[in-house]
Amino acid sequence: MEIRPILSALLRNKTGAVLVAVQVAISLAILSNALHIVNVRQAVAARPSGIADEESVFHISARHLKPAGHNEQLATQARETGALRSVQGVLSVAMTNQVPLSRSGSTNGVAVDRKQANETGSAAFYISPDSLIKTWGLKLVEGRDFEAADVLEFDEATSSEFPTTVIVTKALAEKLFPGSASVIGKSFFFGTGEDAQAVRIVGVVERLQSTSAQVSSSGEYATIVAMRMTGPNAVQYTVRVEPGQRERVMREAQAALRKVSSDPVITKPSDVTEHRGERYRADIALSWMLITVSVLLLLITASGIVGMASLWVTQRRKQIGVRRALGARRIDILRYFVTENIMITSGGVTAGVLLAIALNQLLVSQLEMARLPLGYLGAGAGVFWALGILAVYGPAWRAASTSPALATRSA
Amino acid sequence: MFQYYFLLGVRSLRRNPALTALMVLTLAIGVAASVSTLTILHIMSGDPIPHKSERLLVPLIDNAPPEGYTPGVPSRERQMSYPDASNLLKSKQGERRTALYGVSAAVEPLRADLEVFSSQGLAPTRDFFAMFETPFLHGQAWSESDDASGADVVVLSRELSEKVFGNANPVGRRLTMMGFQYQVVGVLDTWMPLPRYYRLVGVNAFVKADQFFIPFSSAIRHHTSHSGNMNCFARLDPGFESLLASECTWIQFWFETKSRAGRAELQQYLDNYASEQRKLGRLKRNAPNQLFNVMEWMEFLKVVGNDSKLSAWLAFGFLMLCLVNTIGLLLAKFSVRAAEVGIRRALGASRRDIFRQFLIETGVVGLAGGALGLLLAFGALALIAMQSKQMAVVAHMDWVMLAFTFVLSVLAALLAGLLPTWRACQVTPALQLKSQ
Repeated sequence: MEIRPILSALLRNKTGAVLVAVQVAISLAILSNALHIVNVRQAVAARPSGIADEESVFHISARHLKPAGHNEQLATQARETGALRSVQGVLSVAMTNQVPLSRSGSTNGVAVDRKQANETGSAAFYISPDSLIKTWGLKLVEGRDFEAADVLEFDEATSSEFPTTVIVTKALAEKLFPGSASVIGKSFFFGTGEDAQAVRIVGVVERLQSTSAQVSSSGEYATIVAMRMTGPNAVQYTVRVEPGQRERVMREAQAALRKVSSDPVITKPSDVTEHRGERYRADIALSWMLITVSVLLLLITASGIVGMASLWVTQRRKQIGVRRALGARRIDILRYFVTENIMITSGGVTAGVLLAIALNQLLVSQLEMARLPLGYLGAGAGVFWALGILAVYGPAWRAASTSPALATRSA
Repeated sequence: MFQYYFLLGVRSLRRNPALTALMVLTLAIGVAASVSTLTILHIMSGDPIPHKSERLLVPLIDNAPPEGYTPGVPSRERQMSYPDASNLLKSKQGERRTALYGVSAAVEPLRADLEVFSSQGLAPTRDFFAMFETPFLHGQAWSESDDASGADVVVLSRELSEKVFGNANPVGRRLTMMGFQYQVVGVLDTWMPLPRYYRLVGVNAFVKADQFFIPFSSAIRHHTSHSGNMNCFARLDPGFESLLASECTWIQFWFETKSRAGRAELQQYLDNYASEQRKLGRLKRNAPNQLFNVMEWMEFLKVVGNDSKLSAWLAFGFLMLCLVNTIGLLLAKFSVRAAEVGIRRALGASRRDIFRQFLIETGVVGLAGGALGLLLAFGALALIAMQSKQMAVVAHMDWVMLAFTFVLSVLAALLAGLLPTWRACQVTPALQLKSQ
């Protein structure tokens, strides 16, 4: 085709072409990296917590002002659990020390052997005298839930006993005993050294995130032990309600807790949706910021291409007129501008791919971001080729519509 | 002449409205994106106490067990055990010193119309207030003898004071917290350093300041349980006494030295202290003892997240794109004015005059872009602030950033205008006049 003459015309007047190519390159570099980060963050925020139907679960903490003895606290806990269970619409109630995604709670080092110098990993430490499996709808993939005999009664002020049975997540089981067919009955240790606590696995749940839901695999390392604890004067309950009833039950649950308490009690409800929003707020905010920048980027690049192409068309009106007068058809003129634009965009895209890889290299080394898969570069290149053709089409059509007489007459 | 060219520039804004609007908008969007992300970065990473940040030092002593220690690998410890904290408090090293830990209290107001509520506070020593220069609205810090005896005294934040006592001066009155009666000795005026550098471990650096302050010694005496991050190496025996005796780390420590030179002295003291403790059978790792000043400490704890940096970087990349775009638009704008330049040159204007005129004209575009950019940046920051309470605290513009917006915008416009202006100067008058 007519690439040679277009190219030599381009080379004689480089500035505009270089400007457009540079815009395409910068846009492609930023866009491909930004979209990749958006995808990574969205995937992180969409990870399941392990709690089935999160919309139907809420938590409520009750804090008593007066310090109370062990037996008194046990009575209060029983009374409060009963009060919550009797609220209409409540399906299941469990006391717990912490909840997934809440970003505060305790973890424990776990080890396969107590003689290990370093722990194998660190796992979230859930404590409940009730069935978290039932209340949270965790999926038991192996073994059994706790039975009444497993539950240890524990006074934080005096006891130093430790439960002997534990339920772990599949991810933790795999980390502790890689490749074993079944981990039921196997033992591991909380901590290392002399006073490490041996526990025996009785059940494995498919998934339960830790309280901070880390992005790394340790986000799914969790253990559940069966303990009825006294000591801290704030107690947390987690409640499953009938679908769609959460808001009402949350209000009534607060009232119910106040009603059964003789002394002033501070109740604080929270829910999984709220915790999820807080936990991933930064990721979602960054995603939106990047999406906004990407859209603006496309708009500005498109306007740049349209602007430059319009300028060239105006500048070359005479040339177009002469060509038309000499017999060029409209389609020839149109093709000229589109081809020219494709050449410029291709130059920009080539530079953009290199720039995108360089930018990603920088982000990986300086800001610990993920490496860019090549697919994004291909998609980005496609977007800019399409954008270039779309943007140049209007001005090129205007050029093609120039009447030969009009173009050659003036000045 | 500057004034005249400036007026010409303002007038030429109207000459090609579509092109000019596009140019101003492009600049404004680019500037707004950079300024809003930069504002957040600026506030997050700013020095919260510039005149003495070099003299406020955090000591870190690695008290983890020797098992699993690899020399050269930095410790994961960010806080201190009670034995170390109380020894350092007794050391009288530095000009001032404080240990501190977070406490959460149920506050029982005397007023009948207020229910019991939870409040977050801090247990430091008396030196804390002078070290971090807290402003007092009423009263003052507690005395040294209060520290020594573990007296039940409290300094309230303005917010908590107004909630419980209204606008009255509460100094001397009593407040029931955690089941004990505390005597109010002072009320702080609104004090909200950002980031909350004095306590960064285990809490968010950009949340509301603490609501009350009780003496460290009093909190320890009442076995006030700690609210925040704790790291233990061995199983903890039941009871608060065993926590105090343990190697669990849960206390934050700060020294203030008299001069910058005091740091070396303090380092020397820490090393001596550690080797003495080693003789007593503690600190078996023999790891280096570290000191951090305020900025080093914030860097060490990565107070400014990578996400904020990423946003700022990308926003600047975006500004660059806007610049390139503006260059193109200016080229287009100036190229249709070749005839005008030709006539002016023929009438005696030098290249330098043309250069000045066109550059001032781009400056005017920059100013317009800056003004619009400022509006957009305010909008963007308001949007960001709506995201969360944390961002609301961070996303507000100060005078520095306000001025910076205009400087950035005008500079960007001038930079973008260089090439088009230079091209405009190259116009040959004869050629232009002939083609008329």
